[in-house]
Amino acid sequence: MIAFCARRLLWMIATLWVVFTISFFLMRSVPGGPLSRERNLLPEIEKLLMKRYNLDKSWGEQYWVELGNYLRGDFGYSFKLDDYTVNEVIAEGLPISISLGLIALAFALTLGLVAGVVSAVYRGTWIDVVFMLTATLGIALPSFVIAGICIILFVFLIPLLPAAGWGDFSQLVLPAFCLGAPYAAYVARIARTSMLDVLSQDHIRTARAKGVHPTRVVVVHALRGALLPVVSFIGPAIAGILTGSLVVEQVFAIPGMGSHFVQAAQQRDYTLALGLVMLYTVLLYSMNWLVDMSYAILDPRVELQ
Amino acid sequence: MADNPRKLLMSLNQRTILAWLLLVTMIFSIAWLAMGGSLPPADFTFVNHTEVKSIDPAIANGQPEGNILHSIFEGLTHWHPKSLEPMPGVAESWEISEDGLTYTFQLRDTARWSDGTTVTADDFLYALRRLLGPRSAAEYAPLAWCIKNAKKYNVGSNDLDPGDSVEIELSLPPDAVNSLRGEILRGKLVEIQRGGNEDERVYVVDVDGSRLQFRPIDDTSAVEQSPPPGEQWCRQVLLDFREVGIELLDPLTLRYTLEHPIAYFLSLTGYYPFFPVNRQCIERHGNPQWTKPQRIVTNGPYHPLFRRIRDRIRLARSATYWNREKVALELVDVLATEANTTALNLYMTGKVEWINTVPSAALRILLEEDPPRKDLNPSPYLAIYYYLLNTTRKPLDDVRVRKALSLALVREEITTKLLAAGEMPALNLVPPGIKGYVGQKTDPESVAEAQRLLAEAGFSEGKGFPKLDILYNTDEAHQAIAELIRKQWQTHLGISVKTRNEEWASYQASQRTMKYNISRRAWIGDYVDPSSFLDMFVTDGEQNMTGWGDPEYDRLLEQAREETDIEERLRVLEQAERILMEQLPILPVYHYVSKNMVKPYVRGFYNNLQDHHPVWAIWIDRESEEPNEFMRSVK
Repeated sequence: MIAFCARRLLWMIATLWVVFTISFFLMRSVPGGPLSRERNLLPEIEKLLMKRYNLDKSWGEQYWVELGNYLRGDFGYSFKLDDYTVNEVIAEGLPISISLGLIALAFALTLGLVAGVVSAVYRGTWIDVVFMLTATLGIALPSFVIAGICIILFVFLIPLLPAAGWGDFSQLVLPAFCLGAPYAAYVARIARTSMLDVLSQDHIRTARAKGVHPTRVVVVHALRGALLPVVSFIGPAIAGILTGSLVVEQVFAIPGMGSHFVQAAQQRDYTLALGLVMLYTVLLYSMNWLVDMSYAILDPRVELQ
Repeated sequence: MADNPRKLLMSLNQRTILAWLLLVTMIFSIAWLAMGGSLPPADFTFVNHTEVKSIDPAIANGQPEGNILHSIFEGLTHWHPKSLEPMPGVAESWEISEDGLTYTFQLRDTARWSDGTTVTADDFLYALRRLLGPRSAAEYAPLAWCIKNAKKYNVGSNDLDPGDSVEIELSLPPDAVNSLRGEILRGKLVEIQRGGNEDERVYVVDVDGSRLQFRPIDDTSAVEQSPPPGEQWCRQVLLDFREVGIELLDPLTLRYTLEHPIAYFLSLTGYYPFFPVNRQCIERHGNPQWTKPQRIVTNGPYHPLFRRIRDRIRLARSATYWNREKVALELVDVLATEANTTALNLYMTGKVEWINTVPSAALRILLEEDPPRKDLNPSPYLAIYYYLLNTTRKPLDDVRVRKALSLALVREEITTKLLAAGEMPALNLVPPGIKGYVGQKTDPESVAEAQRLLAEAGFSEGKGFPKLDILYNTDEAHQAIAELIRKQWQTHLGISVKTRNEEWASYQASQRTMKYNISRRAWIGDYVDPSSFLDMFVTDGEQNMTGWGDPEYDRLLEQAREETDIEERLRVLEQAERILMEQLPILPVYHYVSKNMVKPYVRGFYNNLQDHHPVWAIWIDRESEEPNEFMRSVK
């Protein structure tokens, strides 16, 4: 276990370095820069700004300076949010995305698992058909369509929930649902397939033959095995949900990582964009790592190597 | 499994722990949300469209920043919410010399910072030095170049002449607060010794009779290395700030001396780059930490209470503002909502009182409502939508071709078919509404004349005309306009034109490096004066980007700068615009209208030429049956 973790850690450092290098140069090779403005800067002023942001140095020099700062844990100042450091932006945005993400995840898992298990158990009936149709719709519809429909329904037609914003729980319901809906649909489909697979296995037949209550067979004996594919799906999904769905955050005006990420890329905010890419990498990597470890917990047959 | 109960127990434990952990984080995050996230409702909420770049008056630029800065700071003057005329702010009175070059302001003794101290003339001096100091790299510093020697102090350290009075800022330890200035030495510049690369310079300065040599370097290197023999490290050598045209006559009297008379200087002193800042606060906390709501010291009608990035800035009425009795709203929320549709949803559900733009599709429907809405009143303001023509490329270098393109444009079709809010077709650059100024229009649509000119230029019926493209930044509205113009040119002139879109920053870069044939652009006036538009097109001007230049045009603008007679000055500017509209390096398309939606119970909100709406002038009146100030101008 410890050797496994140590090896993963080494790989993570290597991955981070590669991602850092590629992002660093990729961003700078795109036309435009953090100093391009609607109102062009006077050359004298532009020179002062280049100097202030270290942009007057060569890419190589900038790279080493930046890498050194990252090693010290200092992500620098945002180029476009002049009052904040990148660390501050992340510190404010990440908890927001995490809270939203966790609730979205709770939606996704509860709705998805229930729908998947029920469809598998009642395979071939109308319940199965309805659930799987809804799931297919949930996967096919982009989240801005779901968001639009939800807003029309629950904000304007039946004024139950606020249209947008961040602060109290009622403002969370719609975005969390819209963010979680596609994941719920995936979870439902995966859970159904793996449940069907497990239900046809020998130990389930044995349990049934021994007269175990049907609910207990499903919930205790079958679900455990059926969870494995779901777990491997939600690992990367958590990273995706946590760093925020850009569309959902835009539509519902939620000040999370997703909004920051998109704005940073569009505005050529080199420092903020790089910081967020690195954060995303760390999240994605550690989620996958957690998934691998949770395999071992859920399935005794798996050994970590 | 049963044969190994211990293993089962362990794995169960691990599973339970994991499940509990998840549950606990979830509960905590919801609790965190419920406790920290929610705020009591504000008295007035508006959508500011984007997260502001900064609330530091020297760093900020743009209109959303202005909405906040005009609330939390106050300059010597401030603008009347309706007429935009400068009114007494921190200054209670002023005198202007006859030649229009010196302005003497008398500050009121009741103006206070939010920490209770008095706003003095020294605060304005500090703010100007900060705005102009090269280390601030303030983008709006050029607005202050009208002040004597301000440009030389700001960007001229390279061009100092021997004999100039200079100030030498000595290095500070690298860990010093970044807003502190090093010790200042003053003297006369003897010479600048230039080294191999551009940045390598040694300043030889006569300080109190002794010749000293200074070499600029950053603070860290100054500690790590020792200077070459006979030299001293310093941060920078600048023109002596005492040479800049700002002078304290006493703690409450301030005098500015200008390079040349400026008709709108009193308006400039009410613009945020000229606002005072609190030196003590800045020097204690450093840049940009001093701007945090818990630290910032302000002198305006409001004070920031709370700020969440890309969510909101909450403002509270200042308890120390001199005119606080006249400020009606107690708590104001400024939302950074980026998406226009979301903003509209918030407005329609009553969560915000004012939005400053409406998506075009929705606007059309809202304007057609019957009876007409009581909260929507589009009104002209100083902004223009136009096309740049790259006059360095053939055949756009030929004025006949440019003129033909303009004559073949049916601008009414664009404004009526594609735009909803009553935008006005533009035949000249300077938007209408500036008092005393007559816009110099180019000829209206005439297809026959356009065809004749094009034939004269050698492209009879469009034959042999190269394939040009129209560049625009990715956006449905710009695309629709570009497509329609393409079609008009195709039908009227027989030339084939393509459209090309680029994402915002790339589009900016293409314009700047002139990698385009025809490109859309828009401009909003900084101040109510034609020069705010005409200055763009001086030869090699930063905003020109057409490659066009005309010595006579440049001369007229220079003449207008020196002209003290207000009427005469406008006539000179009209002549300049005449040249521009004859040469047509640009094709004016339409003049914008503002698209505010304001709830009927909001009072003190006026349409005006700069779409500027100070929050301090606004109050709420739910009883009144009368239309509010915003709707009174409906025709």
